[in-house]
Amino acid sequence: MNTLFYLIRRNTKLFFKDKGMFFTSLITPCILLVLYAVFLGKIYRDSFVMGLPEGVELAEKLLNGAVSGQLISSILAVSCVTVAFCSNMLMVQDKANGSIRDFTISPVKKTALSLSYYFATLISTLLICFTTTAVCLVYVAVQGWYLSVSDVIVLIFDVFLLVLFGTALSSIINFFLSTQGQISAVGSMISSGYGFICGAYMPISQFPEVLQKVISFLPGTYGTSIIRNVAMRGVFSEMKADGVPDFAITQMKDAIDCNLYFFGNRVELGVMYAVLVCTIAVLIGVYVAMNVLNKKKG
Amino acid sequence: MNNIIEITDLYKSFGEVKAVHNLSFCVKKGELFAFLGVNGAGKSTTIGIICGQLAKDKGTVVIDGNDIDKNIDKIKTEIGVVFQNSVLDKALTVRDNLEFKASLYGIYGKEFEDRLKELSEMLDFSDILNRTVGKLSGGQRRRVDIARALFHKPKLLILDEPTTGLDPQTRKTLWNVISGLRKNENLTVFLTTHYMEEAAEADYVVILDSGKLIAEGTPLELKNKYTGDYITLYNTTEETVKNIGVEYEPIRDAFKIQIPNTEKATELIIKYPSVFKDYEITKGKMDDVFLSATGKKLEGRNEK
Repeated sequence: MNTLFYLIRRNTKLFFKDKGMFFTSLITPCILLVLYAVFLGKIYRDSFVMGLPEGVELAEKLLNGAVSGQLISSILAVSCVTVAFCSNMLMVQDKANGSIRDFTISPVKKTALSLSYYFATLISTLLICFTTTAVCLVYVAVQGWYLSVSDVIVLIFDVFLLVLFGTALSSIINFFLSTQGQISAVGSMISSGYGFICGAYMPISQFPEVLQKVISFLPGTYGTSIIRNVAMRGVFSEMKADGVPDFAITQMKDAIDCNLYFFGNRVELGVMYAVLVCTIAVLIGVYVAMNVLNKKKG
Repeated sequence: MNNIIEITDLYKSFGEVKAVHNLSFCVKKGELFAFLGVNGAGKSTTIGIICGQLAKDKGTVVIDGNDIDKNIDKIKTEIGVVFQNSVLDKALTVRDNLEFKASLYGIYGKEFEDRLKELSEMLDFSDILNRTVGKLSGGQRRRVDIARALFHKPKLLILDEPTTGLDPQTRKTLWNVISGLRKNENLTVFLTTHYMEEAAEADYVVILDSGKLIAEGTPLELKNKYTGDYITLYNTTEETVKNIGVEYEPIRDAFKIQIPNTEKATELIIKYPSVFKDYEITKGKMDDVFLSATGKKLEGRNEK
C-alpha cells in the first residue's frame, strides 16, 4: 500500500512539474466554454425557442439559464474524458524513455504499478475538471442561475463519476501505446470524436435512427445525459412554474438528450447511473487484468 | 553454492534473428565479471532475461540458487541494474528519485534516510540531493544512477556500460566505490563495457558474438590464448635489433618485438644477452584479445 502511495506521488508530481501540460489541460476546457458560448449559444437558444408551444414566452434570464445549462453539461461531459486522455501520458512516457524498465526489474506488483498510473491521472484530471466546473458555474451564475445546492453537489458527483470513467477508458487505450507520437494521435482523435459520440456537440436525437441505436450502447452517452439532467433540472422546474406544459418540457428534454431511449424504451436516471458505475468497475478491472496478464516481451 | 549466476543452454530468438544461441556460463559470487560483445551480440538480451524482462525460448537461468521460472520475485530483490541510459526522472530532485526507487523495494522512513545518507556519502552527492536531476552533469547523474541501483543492497549489480561518456576522474571515483563494495559487501558485478581497460580488471571475461559464446576465461588466460607478448627494447640501435632475426616495429624511442609467448622471450634473452639490457615484456591487451576472438574491433558504440 505504501509503495502504491509513493508511486502515485511520483506520477502526480511529474504531471504537475510539466507546467506546459498542466496549463494546457487546464485552459482547454475554458477555451471550449468561450467557443461554445460564441458559436453554439445562438443555435441552442433558437432550438429552445422553437420547442416552445405557441403563445408561451420565456423570460430572458430563464432562456439564458437553459442555454448555459446545456452548454456547461456538454463541456463537462467532453472535458472529463478528453482531459483524462491528456493527463494520462506518463504511462506512455515511461515506456518511451525506458523508466518502465526500472519498475519492472523491481519486485513491485503490476497491480500497484497500473493503479498508480490510474490514481495519478484521476487526481490530476479531477483537479482540472473541478476547476472547469467552477468556471462553468460562474458562467451559469452570470447567465441565469436556477441550480439548488443539491444540484451543485450532484453535478460535482457526476463530474467525479465521469472522470473515473474517462480515466479508466484512457488507461485501457493508452496501455497499447508506446511512443509520444501515438499518444498525440490518439489524444487528437478522442478530442475531436468523443464529443460527437457522447452527444455533447450535437444531441443524439438529431442523429439518424440507426446511429442513435448504436450510440445507445456507449456508456459515455449516459454520462452526458446524467450531467445534462442535473444542469437543466432547475431550468425545467422554473419553466413548469412559468406555465410551460408538461408535453412541451418532455419534448425539450427529448430534444436535448435529458431523456434517452434504448430501442424505444426510456432509460431512467437511476439506470443511467447504474450503467456508468458498472462500466467504470469493468473498465478498471479490465485495465488491471491487462497489466497483470501482460507477459514478458518476446 | 559458489555461483551467483548459472546459465545453461540459453536460447532466445526474435523472429528469424537468433539473439542468444546455446549460451552457457557461470558467474562466481563476489567477482567482477565482464560480458563483452559488439552491439547486437546478445548482451542486452541476456541481461533482459536475467532481470526477468524478457522471456527465454529455452534453457535455464539460476540466480543465487533461484530458478528464474519459479522464483522471479525473490531474484528481483537481489539484482540492481545501472542501465546504459539513465532512467532517472529528470524533472524530479535526486532525493525524490531515490525515495520513489526505494519505495519499490519497501524501503521508507528512517530506513530510507539512513541508506540515503550512507550512499550519498559513499558516492559523494550529499550536496546535490535537492537539485533537479535534469540540471546535473553526466558524472553526477551516473553517481545517482548507481545509488539508485544499490539502494536495496543487491547481491548482484549489473552495470550496462556504466562509464560511457564519463570523464576519467568520475570513472575512477565510480570504480573505487564499486571496488569498495565488492571488498566489503561481497557484491558481484556483472559488467558490460566498451572500455577494454575496464574489462582487463575483471576476474572473468566472456565474449559473445552473434549470440554465441566464443571465448571465456580470466584476462590472463585470454591474453595467453588470443594474443602474444611484446618485448620493448630501449637504448639500442636498429642494426642490433635486426641481428636478432625477428620481426620488429620501430616506435618513437624504442623497438617493439611481437613474440608468441613469454617462453619465447626468455629464449631470446638467453641467446642475445648483450641486446637485452634495457627492455620490458608486456602481455597483449584485451583489445587484441577481442579483435582476435571476434575479428571485430570494439570502439564505443560503433564497432568496426
